[in-house]
Amino acid sequence: MKELAMLAIDAAKARGAAYADVRLVETRVENLGTKNGKVGSYEASEDMGFGVRVIASGAWGFASSDDMSRESVEKTARAAVETALASSKVKEEELILAPESAHVAKWSTLCETDPFKVPLSQKLEHLFKVDEALRKVKGLTIAECSMGFVREKQLFASTEGSLIEQELVHSGAGMTATAVGGGDVQRRSFPSSEGHSASGGYEVIGRVKLLENAGRIAEEAVALLSADVCPSGKKDVILDGSQLCLQIHESIGHPSELDRVLGTEANYAGTSYLSLDKLGKLRLGSKYVTIVADSTLPGGLATVGFDDEGVPAQKWELVKDGLFVGYLTSRENARACGEQRSRGCMRADGWNRIPLVRMTNIGLAPGTWKLEDLIADTADGLLMETNKSWSIDQMRYNFQFSTEIAWEIKNGKKGRMLKNPNYQGISTEFWNSCDAVCDETHWWPWGIINCGKGQPGQIARMSHGSAPARFRGVNVGVAR
Amino acid sequence: MMEKARAESILRSALELSKSDEIEVCLGGGSYSLTRFANNTIHQNVSEKRNQLSVRSVFGKKSGKAVTNKLDPEGVLSAVRQSETAAAAQPEIPELLPMPGPQQYPVVDAFSPETASLPPGFRAEAVARAVRLCKKNGLQAAGYFSSGYGSLGGYGEVSPLAMANSRGLSAYHSGTEASFSITAMGEGSSGWGQETSWLVSNIDVEKVASVAVEKALLSSKPRQLEPGKYKVILEPAAVAELMAYMAWVGFGALQLQEGRSFMAGKVGQKVFGENISIYDDVYHDLLRGRPFDSEGMPRKRVTIAEKGVLKGPVYDRITASKDQKESTGHGLPVPNTSGPEASSVVLEGFQPVTPEELVKRTDRAILVTRFWYVNVVDPMKVVLTGMTRDGTFLVENGKIACGIRNFRFNQSVIELLSNVEAMSTPVRTGGCVVPGLLVRDFNFSSGTEF
Ligand SMILES: [Zn+2]
Repeated sequence: MKELAMLAIDAAKARGAAYADVRLVETRVENLGTKNGKVGSYEASEDMGFGVRVIASGAWGFASSDDMSRESVEKTARAAVETALASSKVKEEELILAPESAHVAKWSTLCETDPFKVPLSQKLEHLFKVDEALRKVKGLTIAECSMGFVREKQLFASTEGSLIEQELVHSGAGMTATAVGGGDVQRRSFPSSEGHSASGGYEVIGRVKLLENAGRIAEEAVALLSADVCPSGKKDVILDGSQLCLQIHESIGHPSELDRVLGTEANYAGTSYLSLDKLGKLRLGSKYVTIVADSTLPGGLATVGFDDEGVPAQKWELVKDGLFVGYLTSRENARACGEQRSRGCMRADGWNRIPLVRMTNIGLAPGTWKLEDLIADTADGLLMETNKSWSIDQMRYNFQFSTEIAWEIKNGKKGRMLKNPNYQGISTEFWNSCDAVCDETHWWPWGIINCGKGQPGQIARMSHGSAPARFRGVNVGVAR
Repeated sequence: MMEKARAESILRSALELSKSDEIEVCLGGGSYSLTRFANNTIHQNVSEKRNQLSVRSVFGKKSGKAVTNKLDPEGVLSAVRQSETAAAAQPEIPELLPMPGPQQYPVVDAFSPETASLPPGFRAEAVARAVRLCKKNGLQAAGYFSSGYGSLGGYGEVSPLAMANSRGLSAYHSGTEASFSITAMGEGSSGWGQETSWLVSNIDVEKVASVAVEKALLSSKPRQLEPGKYKVILEPAAVAELMAYMAWVGFGALQLQEGRSFMAGKVGQKVFGENISIYDDVYHDLLRGRPFDSEGMPRKRVTIAEKGVLKGPVYDRITASKDQKESTGHGLPVPNTSGPEASSVVLEGFQPVTPEELVKRTDRAILVTRFWYVNVVDPMKVVLTGMTRDGTFLVENGKIACGIRNFRFNQSVIELLSNVEAMSTPVRTGGCVVPGLLVRDFNFSSGTEF
């Protein structure tokens, strides 16, 4: 493997590349799902290939292939240089990478039980138990459970002398209960609409506690069919972590990606309201809002030793006591925001994609409240749980979210269940209306496994740690 | 994707290795290149080559699957054995159908050698022309030019192009695709355009870039309007986004059988306006897609709605057998939990007019270039939300009066399709073939900061 990597680097250099890196990636995936007592889906896959990224004539080129022969490796490296030379025909300025030391290192996810060594029958047995517990509830129409495992072995080498081997393992599970009746469809998922995934082995599955929550989730799905519809108006809203994670993702995470800010995603994902002039000046949120980016978070889906440019994992603040103070950066763009070194946010979706600035684990720092005290402190509000639908404009101002369920709060008491809850707002106004965040006993690193970005498209995974938080005077019931 | 002879030899070798009752093997992949630009610079320029073999083995009613991109004899053998081990370890699926036998497929001519092997220099030159046009007008260009062959999806997902099974089924298709998209950006405004075709010479880079430039210039200093119900002109890209979501939540037979589709209880009834007909037609001249589905069944042209009356959903084999019908060739890989999918939506019905005519005959309306971040609020009423983007205008007295700030909408597509007053000529966009629409009472629910 190392030999093939060096072959690619040498071939790129020989063709005139000023910089080259190569990533060899071997991925193994297992996904299984059950539906109403039967296997709903099953797939095990293996995939291996390599990608060569080069700078030649001050511009980028990239080529990739799954043909691992020496001939193909050399041909692909040459194609990368040829592509860079084509790129150099349309450019405004020279490309300069922020300096980074050469790293020779190995890094692996902390994994107690190799999920690929656990027999399929044991995995299915667990899911069928959960399935049965869901379907015990009268009135439930569809019970769906799932499990997924990924192992990615990567080798990164560059012309600067870095040689990094990493092995990342992710495991996850989830369930969804759907009730259909009277022309209505209602659904409850657990722990979130994507289940829960984390870095780690089969031990992650036990922590998800599907069986312990199956009865409650199914009962809530059925009860939602006859629940009242969430009213419209301005309300104080407590968002559970199962919704807040996506609120962080969409309205703070994506806008703080420096490539979006600089316009390089303008044709697809869009740009950002966090323009360079806002750094250190914009009150993004209230003093209760501190947002931390952390590529070292134990169990985080974006936790790595090094990013896909060979920059070590770091931890830093994006928002400090409400003030916007940091971006997610790469070696190419770090200088644009006045920094000398990349924050190490470049990640690629497999060997056939280039690294892009991607969110690492981005969490809301815990506050001081207990959830029961926060409910008791709320006179006229809603508690919203579990994301169902999401939408936000391309600069990340105007968002609208639906959740699966809400609970009315009247004079400090959690009351009736409400269906079809949703809320809409403008990111900065919304985060400034935050007046309470629950403490670390409520904090959980919610995993996101389907974050799309780039052309061609890439999927990334990351965790958003959060505890329930309260927002004042939110527009609810906006899509009736 | 590789040539037919090599694909068939790999598939045959896999079939011969099988120890199971039934085996199905699929090959997909190809080569895909994309030149991406932003800030008037090519900032990303990538290519990939890959193939993928998927093997499904069946013992009785037990099914197991393995996928690999190692296509040498060892890789093929390992995938066959893994799929057999997986099948043996699984419980029976009582509904599992025997694999289908040989099928007849229409021939679809969708392969252009020129489009398949476009060099990076060709794409860079086209991008250079588009960038020059933007610079001349004081604008920043961002977008991409892509080309390739095979079945690599937008996120790198691979669908089958060659299939065979132990009952004698054999299918092969190969196609090419090129796509150009551009966003022209000015101070506080932007415009967008895109064209996709199986044939690169069908793509008019200058025309697409001029449309984006014109929109960016026309929408500078946008006015802010109050949200509310407006008459709208939805350009085809905006219509395609809504139709694709409607198809996803409601055109499949499984959703209908489970009572989760807007079609529930309404098949045979008039639910849209008189002049609305919807088809799923992979053979449409502008689409030219693969003539079979992931079960190897021939794709049929399906009428979803005709003159406003709902005709029915698309089927795979299992949902068809439940309704005593035939598969329409819209199945996903077996087994799956989501059911058949309509993915080649065609909308027509009115005598079409030119896009300019649509504007000319309008007193007051909002013109929408495209929507962004659309998502489902209520699947049973097909209520969707999303934002306008890259060229939103006020039309007054048959002319574009000014650009306006973007809106969020919350709108039922069923209601929308009952409020259509005119259509422009259908074009290919977003995987659909749809016209621009003039629609009354479209619900914009809030505004944004730009
Ligand atoms: Zn995302």
